[in-house]
Amino acid sequence: MLQESAKHILDKIKEIPNVAIVLGSGLSKLSNQVESAIQIPYKDIPGFHKSTAPGHAGKLIYGDIAGKKVLLMSGRLHTYEGYSPAEVAYPIRVMKAIGIKRLILTNAAGGIRTTFNPGDLVFITDVMNFSFRNPLIGPNDESQGPRFPDMSQSLSKEWMEKANEIIEENFKNPLEKGVYISVLGPSYETPAEIHMFRKLGADMIGMSTIHEVIVANHIGLEVMGISCITNMAAGVLNQPLSQEEVIEAGNRVSERFSAIVRAIVEKTC
Amino acid sequence: MEYVEKVKEAVNFLESKIERTPKVAIVLGSGLDGIKNAVETSVRIKYADIPNFPVSTAPGHAGEMIFGKWNGTDVVLMNGRFHYYEGYTMKEITMPIRVFQILGVQYLFVTNAAGGLNHSFEPGHPMIITDHINFMGDNPLIGKNVDEWGARFPDMSAAYTPNLVEVAKEVSKELGIEYYTGVYIAFTGPSFETPAELKMARYFGADAVGMSTVPEVIVASHGGLKVLGISSITDRAIPEDLKPLTAEEVIEVAEKTGEKIAKIFENVLGKLKGIE
Repeated sequence: MLQESAKHILDKIKEIPNVAIVLGSGLSKLSNQVESAIQIPYKDIPGFHKSTAPGHAGKLIYGDIAGKKVLLMSGRLHTYEGYSPAEVAYPIRVMKAIGIKRLILTNAAGGIRTTFNPGDLVFITDVMNFSFRNPLIGPNDESQGPRFPDMSQSLSKEWMEKANEIIEENFKNPLEKGVYISVLGPSYETPAEIHMFRKLGADMIGMSTIHEVIVANHIGLEVMGISCITNMAAGVLNQPLSQEEVIEAGNRVSERFSAIVRAIVEKTC
Repeated sequence: MEYVEKVKEAVNFLESKIERTPKVAIVLGSGLDGIKNAVETSVRIKYADIPNFPVSTAPGHAGEMIFGKWNGTDVVLMNGRFHYYEGYTMKEITMPIRVFQILGVQYLFVTNAAGGLNHSFEPGHPMIITDHINFMGDNPLIGKNVDEWGARFPDMSAAYTPNLVEVAKEVSKELGIEYYTGVYIAFTGPSFETPAELKMARYFGADAVGMSTVPEVIVASHGGLKVLGISSITDRAIPEDLKPLTAEEVIEVAEKTGEKIAKIFENVLGKLKGIE
């Protein structure tokens, strides 16, 4: 199935992209930056599932950003939708089968670190799996990767540092860095849970990304992660959380997000 | 059959059996079934007779709904709850809460037997729950969201209705009942936690530990019910001071504490008007 999925996409795009970018909730406007865009709906790709999450389209967008070939995943799957972790991370395996070597994962996240503000973009230095799931459970396919993949540097420090130098040069300040903790959802966290996650060393929280990072490490992709802080996590401010807040913050920051990702693609991919 | 259809069928069945919509649903935890003696019962319905309902297998848990009046308020008691450790799915164990929501119930009072993690807690006292930690590794809302029932991403920043917590505290003081407040953490069980796990749970910020309640409160929050939760602290879950525990011991202390919780509930019922 993997080869069929990859073939369907390669037949349309013809060339191997320099980088694949997974777009988080509210961050899909990056697709406006793509020149000579080719769109491939997930429903046409053998083996692909449909995203049911709000703010998630369901298509691949291929084309040029700053002279580089990019493949955007607009719309991702989540375990809270009822998909298995392996299904959630399936497109990442397809990226590899296409021949892609670099992957940028983006997401909307709640700020646990109290100095964060909604609208902040933060580099993910490391991830914590609090989903009680793992996409690699089951027999291991040795042709894909090792039984016990190393996770000691699951997100490329070298790539992140290089990107942050470019961001500092072009946008005055480098991005903050933090640890992302992934939970199941779909209910938002309680204040007691956020208090616990802060003690555990998490800086931001969300309901995605973890299974994609694990699979990308299994198959040996170079991974970068960027969180958009769309809201402060429960208990940080004395107000309820809402999905609208998340989408709005994503929209507000989308211009800056697009400019930064464009610079990263141009200079490091 | 789709879950939505199953719930509707159960609701239709119950509606055909009851005359008045209950305002408050009360989930009776281990050893807390004494509450049923206080209620002026009008209708009792066995879970086995309700279409699509699971059947409880836990020791000390019956399996019936009791509709009636308590302190002037229409209530429904859930005598016997479903636990994840029995092998049910999250959707199955929370089905009664969903049924209550669709029936038109506005408040959920939930009880449980819990181990005290907080070093200052002594067995035999109620703990009014202020918040929870879901350490069960699952969530009843996973899957396609039913928008008529609630939001895709429900807020949990005040899952235990702050005004109800306040009223429960006031009432306890008036009654002279010693109580605690704190955070409840749910593990799946059924094996009790190890000392190392209890130490971890305490470090996480939990005051009491148990194997229920969290899934029910998540669904209640999703469905817009106001929640009051009270744990019966049945033993000290202190790693340095851990004695082997039997279910019988837990039930014995829970029954004594249950009488106190019943009094608190009875008096909170008299003060529900105007609580948002």
